[in-house]
Amino acid sequence: TVHSPTCPHLCFLLVPALEPQFLHLQTPDPGDPVWNVRWALCTRRSSGAPAPGSGATIFALSSGQGRCGIAVIRTSGPSSGHALRILTAARDLPPARHASLRLLSDPRSGEPLDRALVLWFPGPRSFTGEDCVEFHVHGGPAVVSGVLQALGSVPGLRPAEAGEFTRRAFANGKLNLTEVEGLADLIHAETEAQRRQALRQLDGELGHLCCGWAETLTKALAHVEAYIDFGEDDNLEEGVLEQADVEVRALEVALGAHLQDARRGQRLRSGAHVVVTGPPNAGKSSLRKPVSIVSPEPGTTRDVLETPVDLAGFPVLLSDTAGLREGVGPVEQEGVRRARDRLEQADLILAMLDASDLASPSSCNFLATVVASVGAQSPSDSSQRLLLVLNKSDLLSRKGPGPRPDLPPHLLLSCLTGEGLDGLLEALRKELAAVCGDPSTGSPLLTRARHQHHLQGCLDALSHYKQSKDLALAAEALRVARGHLTQLTGGGGTEEILDIIFRDFCVGK
Amino acid sequence: MFYFRGCGRWVAASFTKQQFPLARLSSDSAAPRTPHFDVIVIGGGHAGTEAATAAARCGSRTLLLTHRVDTIGQMSCNPSFGGIGKGHLMREVDALDGLCSRICDQSGVHYKVLNRRKGPAVWGLRAQIDRKLYKQNMQKEILNTPLLTVQEGAVEDLILTEPEPEHTGKCRVSGVVLVDGSTVYAESVILTTGTFLRGMIVIGLEMHPAGRLGDHPSIGLAQTLEKLGFVVGRLKTGTPPRIAKDSINFSILNKQTPDNPSVPFSFTNETVWIKPEDQLPCYLTHTNPRVDEIVLKNLHLNSHVKETTRGPRYCPSIESKVLRFPNRLHQVWLEPEGMDSDLIYPQGLSVTLPAELQEKMITCIRGLEKAKVIQPGYGVQYDYLDPRQITPSLETHLVQRLFFAGQINGTTGYEEAAAQGVIAGINASLRVSRKPPFVVSRTEGYIGVLIDDLTTLGTSEPYRMFTSRVEFRLSLRPDNADIRLTLRGYKDAGCVSQQRYERACWMKSSLEEGISVLKFIEFSSSKWKNLIPEVSISTSRSLPVRALDVLKYEEVDMDSLAKAVPEPLKKYTKCRELAERLKIEATYESVLFHQLQEIKGVQQDEALQLPKDIDYLTIRDVSLSHEVREKLHFSRPQTIGAASRIPGVTPAAIINLLRFVKTTQQRQAAMNESPKTDQCLRDADRLQERQL
Repeated sequence: TVHSPTCPHLCFLLVPALEPQFLHLQTPDPGDPVWNVRWALCTRRSSGAPAPGSGATIFALSSGQGRCGIAVIRTSGPSSGHALRILTAARDLPPARHASLRLLSDPRSGEPLDRALVLWFPGPRSFTGEDCVEFHVHGGPAVVSGVLQALGSVPGLRPAEAGEFTRRAFANGKLNLTEVEGLADLIHAETEAQRRQALRQLDGELGHLCCGWAETLTKALAHVEAYIDFGEDDNLEEGVLEQADVEVRALEVALGAHLQDARRGQRLRSGAHVVVTGPPNAGKSSLRKPVSIVSPEPGTTRDVLETPVDLAGFPVLLSDTAGLREGVGPVEQEGVRRARDRLEQADLILAMLDASDLASPSSCNFLATVVASVGAQSPSDSSQRLLLVLNKSDLLSRKGPGPRPDLPPHLLLSCLTGEGLDGLLEALRKELAAVCGDPSTGSPLLTRARHQHHLQGCLDALSHYKQSKDLALAAEALRVARGHLTQLTGGGGTEEILDIIFRDFCVGK
Repeated sequence: MFYFRGCGRWVAASFTKQQFPLARLSSDSAAPRTPHFDVIVIGGGHAGTEAATAAARCGSRTLLLTHRVDTIGQMSCNPSFGGIGKGHLMREVDALDGLCSRICDQSGVHYKVLNRRKGPAVWGLRAQIDRKLYKQNMQKEILNTPLLTVQEGAVEDLILTEPEPEHTGKCRVSGVVLVDGSTVYAESVILTTGTFLRGMIVIGLEMHPAGRLGDHPSIGLAQTLEKLGFVVGRLKTGTPPRIAKDSINFSILNKQTPDNPSVPFSFTNETVWIKPEDQLPCYLTHTNPRVDEIVLKNLHLNSHVKETTRGPRYCPSIESKVLRFPNRLHQVWLEPEGMDSDLIYPQGLSVTLPAELQEKMITCIRGLEKAKVIQPGYGVQYDYLDPRQITPSLETHLVQRLFFAGQINGTTGYEEAAAQGVIAGINASLRVSRKPPFVVSRTEGYIGVLIDDLTTLGTSEPYRMFTSRVEFRLSLRPDNADIRLTLRGYKDAGCVSQQRYERACWMKSSLEEGISVLKFIEFSSSKWKNLIPEVSISTSRSLPVRALDVLKYEEVDMDSLAKAVPEPLKKYTKCRELAERLKIEATYESVLFHQLQEIKGVQQDEALQLPKDIDYLTIRDVSLSHEVREKLHFSRPQTIGAASRIPGVTPAAIINLLRFVKTTQQRQAAMNESPKTDQCLRDADRLQERQL
């Protein structure tokens, strides 16, 4: 696609953009209910009304997910003021750059969300140079989630992509070049963190659903496209369009049901994801004796065990994984596969080795693959952190040589005697403070808002498909719907469509 | 006009024959002793004719070099132009004052708009063309183009000289060497050699070198290009046999009649040259299991199918159809080749079996039981140049002022070739007059999508235009190509006539006026229902409804609307085209509003130019992975937008590039303040290091 999903809205105006060579038909359909609301508000507008033709307005949680009293949610873009007025149900905007206390409520239900401090920063004197709003709300997940979803329901607003706030600030000359030096790294880190966050959310049922829906939609679109591009010259089978219609209908029902269901609450896997990993029998599970059955046989933990814990004051989701080794039974191999998946999603990896067994092939292999690959990334490049722990230090002879000198920085621990535990906890606390304090870690709340936004967008687009008699318009509706889904699942693009067309139909001359 | 008719070679008395060895570099820039043109176009096919006339329209003294003058305008494959996607390209070529649409309006024998029921954004203008008429009309047009000279001759080599310091590229083309050793100099050279680069024709197990049946391939030129370091690939294509018209039993076949009235291709034509009732029909028949059997049993006699040269994902030949979709009946369209032609072109039967088996296969088909094959079908294998080696203005990265257009870039189809031809012709001419290149963005036209796809992604199969490749399909319609391109073509390229420009301006302002009037007229829905009883508008809505929204309904057109509200709408029905275009604008209005925002986003990225002389492999102050560097190095994207479309170029890499661009700009701004000569010297030093 033209619009690289990973790189949206690079609006750096170094050279004046060309004006599109089209007739400017900018007034939306007055029959559209969304427009009516907006129009009614615009007639009374002060400065915060949406300006047609300018970029989208984005929002994000810009505080970390540690235990904090206040969470900060920011918006940037032309509809910021509009969103503020909608959420505060106020006619007027608060005075610029002054903190004001307002009751926030959901514009759809009118339900109160929180009493919050709001700040209105009209552009260009703002962080991004655009109109910005900050909502300082009480930090509980329910409130934050409620405000994010309320924002997502305001027309013209969408969750920010990784690094988008910073990029806008850059575009509007709000960052100097030295500040920009770190921007690419930051965006890389944010993208990575969001990717991991998205992987977590898509792990399991929702992921299967989304991928399945995207596949159905891509195929339906490909068949409609085939009908447009080849329907007259080549003989497509009968009923291509009818089949696509049926599939789109079914998809609409499934999506609608899912969205209804999701509002009742979806289990959030929030907190920093800490994954304990290592070769078999390094003592990974001994860290959490009460949870798993520990036996001296290697390969005891065959699945990923996941527990939400409070570690040094930070919300943590601790995953204990199967030991990483190849060439074992199918059950354990599945455990190893899951462990590797989980490693991909981790914010912090606790890599555990048997201090007395460092020369064994499994230890060497582990050091070479897992530890070296994370360690090889420069600290700014990687937002994934790793703590190397050598367990069973009690087995090392007191006077004998220490562990190999070529090992990366590590901690010594004995789960048996408890020696080194304090040191480990202190190190964990430091790492978690870094992980949780960084808003880029990717809040699950924002991810969920993003999911809902795109799933709802997909559903809305599908309803246009039904209404369109013009096949080009119908195909456009499917393209938009597919665009929303592929924002969640990845992929997309024209070549995929062409591949399906040429696979399913005998076309061409 | 300096056209020398006849088959004799054009020789000027003042020629001093000078033999240049291959790829010899001459730094001599003294006054030419041999003929000197602004632009030389090599090849007289669909890309070459458009390129030569476009360059001439832009004011360049142009030479068209072709193997044989009598094959200029030859349609070497199907006897038709246009279709879905391809028709869009023709409208855009026409909007830039190109030839093929106007010539088709004078040479067609069966005009039909495809996709009539699927929405005006995807209507496909198409026509069966009389080959002879097309060639005649094209040659007449070429010979009457001011500033254009035509010469017969086979080009053997390029004359290369020192590069211009202000541009990238390791050398510059200054002219061509013909097979007889004579030379012609020019400021820009366009290669439109089609399938002639090491062309090879295949029938059954026989293979012989040829660019087209009966024409010699270009081998010397292919070698020159390879020596210069161009990456060359190989593609294959094919054409069906031709059948004697009087040997076909049409009476038992499905007949397809042309449209009435005919829709012309060109914006400048109200109608086509021939009345619908005088046009020729097409006929439809189908293959059957016996055809499959003959194909499958004789695969061992079919080297084109066996060859590993990569074929397309789609099914270009009957062999690929039978192999990939067995046990089906495949369509065969029987198309007339011309008014007085006694040949029929069986569209869908492209085949490379040995000639005698082709006739055997054809006589299995219903209606063709007694068919006589006049010319067998054949396959062509040919060299193409990886199009990632050219810029969006179609100039090569390696050789300054050398342009490629048409099949040489890996495309297939007359329309794709013509579209590239116009762009190459315009840019070759702009290059001579030192003006900025004329690039069509993918937000502006199918031409832009075609060229952007080729130059950023390359292609591994003959590239064909489909509407599904175009993300802004609802905006880039056949009806509005003039508004998208004619105005720019006039102002930025100078390739559009005054008359056409004025017509497009009038149309644009009339449309804008009409739309604002239609937005201004508002009544309640019940009043609309009274005025236009046939409209299926819901009267439950209390808000007033604009006339523009009423026009969106399928059953409403400008005529019915003007009948309901004669003042002020009556005047917009006087021009048929205007009335129809207003209706189309209304249909897509609400979606275009959203699309416009997306288009702006893309255009902002396209406006961010990357420096042309970045050496991606060595620049140090940008952190890019080796993989990304290689990709950027090969494709040399010109804008951030193009770079972000290259697969594997990450968002972080894009940000790094942006930072680099911004730093470079600041540095250059600082440098511009230092003395000019100083700057030139430094630039010269830098270029010295890079040369050859």
